[in-house]
Amino acid sequence: MTAKAAGSSALGFQPVAKGGSSSARMKLSMLLSLLSVLAFLGIWTFVTEMHIVKPVFLPSPLSVLKEAASLVQSGELWVSILASSKRVFSGFFLAAALAVPLGVLIGVWWPAKAIVDPFISLLRPLPSITWIPLSILWLGIGEAQKIAIVFMGSWVYILLYTVESTKRVDPILIRAARNLGAGDLTVMKDVVLPGALPGIIAGLKVTLAISWSCVITAEMVAAQNGLGALIWTAKDWGNMPLVLVGMVCISLTVLVADWIMLRLERLLLPWERNRRA
Amino acid sequence: MATVLSAESVSKIYKVEGAPEVQAVQNLSLNIEEGEFVCIIGASGCGKSTLLNMFAGFSKPSSGRILLKGQPIEGIEPRCGMVFQSYALFPWKTVRGNVEFGLKMKGKDAASRRQIAERFIEIVGLKGFEDRYPTELSGGMQQRVTLARILAADPEVLLMDEPFAALDAMTRQVMQEELLRIHEANKKTTVFITHNIDEALILADRIVVLSTRPGKVKAIMNNDLPRPRHITIQLSNEFNERKNEIWSHVEEEVRKHVNIQN
Repeated sequence: MTAKAAGSSALGFQPVAKGGSSSARMKLSMLLSLLSVLAFLGIWTFVTEMHIVKPVFLPSPLSVLKEAASLVQSGELWVSILASSKRVFSGFFLAAALAVPLGVLIGVWWPAKAIVDPFISLLRPLPSITWIPLSILWLGIGEAQKIAIVFMGSWVYILLYTVESTKRVDPILIRAARNLGAGDLTVMKDVVLPGALPGIIAGLKVTLAISWSCVITAEMVAAQNGLGALIWTAKDWGNMPLVLVGMVCISLTVLVADWIMLRLERLLLPWERNRRA
Repeated sequence: MATVLSAESVSKIYKVEGAPEVQAVQNLSLNIEEGEFVCIIGASGCGKSTLLNMFAGFSKPSSGRILLKGQPIEGIEPRCGMVFQSYALFPWKTVRGNVEFGLKMKGKDAASRRQIAERFIEIVGLKGFEDRYPTELSGGMQQRVTLARILAADPEVLLMDEPFAALDAMTRQVMQEELLRIHEANKKTTVFITHNIDEALILADRIVVLSTRPGKVKAIMNNDLPRPRHITIQLSNEFNERKNEIWSHVEEEVRKHVNIQN
């Protein structure tokens, strides 16, 4: 036992009392993260500036920064981010508008499940990219086609999360509500929906990242603007710094979207505030 | 006294596919009189929760009838309000929201809902916690919210399914005292399930001992310990005499149950 304890403390697992206050640990952990990023950038700068790696394979951080600055100045970056965001938002919103009500229905009413199940089984394994040929044939290469790709890549996941969270609503709460005199409609509105909401929102958060990968794919195949198109045209010109700028922008945009979802979650689920703390 | 709730030769058989049938309750008859506090006591698996679920209308007897004021119970019955062992509070509603729920179902307007809810929140000693969410409260406090919620809904009968079983021993005593105080004030007809003889003796007017599966009435004892009661009654000789008497009925059933388990 002692040997085990000594071994684990060597790995950094320490009782809280020994490791100091948790806020001190948080500061230390942030410092470590910062150092890790700086070290990475340092190595990257070193190998590229010293021409150990050729710029055509990997541009230096400085040239990426320059490219980003000129893109910000010309306003092109914002146009791209906005174009992609609009598509994600539209497709994601449509998917949620269909899948959340349908998912709740499937969760509470078995015939709906029987009707929709075969389609879910067939559509779920299809990556959204496989819809590109058909969607171009039906919708051309305009906005509608990109939105359709986002939609097709998102709705099944939102549906599955919603069905699962609807089923997981504690049946004793439904009993309690009925025992207090609630009818079917009240049970749906006041018990099943709020009971499933945390799970539904968790599903939306996961799906939002998936929606982003869908839009980038769609834009790489056929689009005039957007972050995916930015990366793809940059590749055609051999402009590697621009490719990297595009990639970093996608990361940052999805992080911002995640953060917005988190704020939204806190706003919609005040009763979970205790659990999160 | 008028009979409020009665079971007439009730049997309940559970059928699960691929498993032998289980007879949870067999030919059980019991009358609950208006204003009385009845404790149903028995070893685990004696069908006491099954009986309570039938009183609430959560499940139907396989044979026999459950009557509320002479009318058979069809479906979930709001006039028999249930207090669950696991509290069953709506986590997304505040204490106030939970307590107001039954009143809302009765179509009461917002102002009177608030007023009634406030009164019952005060009765259970949770004044000042109206805007908290259940997860922010301790187990004992949550069970008090459940109590306030059901009292505010004002059912004909209170059904309590081992409501204090999940609480620690000290909180449990405090809750028993609170319940005594509330019952002695409003004389609400109550059916209370427990496997704790002390609890039954502190609370009940009448104690019904059920036999191990299938559940049948094995003995009924009038508990004439004087009211108003206080939990210190546990220290009296009368209390211990009655405790021995009940144990003599229960012991055999518990032994049977343990043997079945072996």
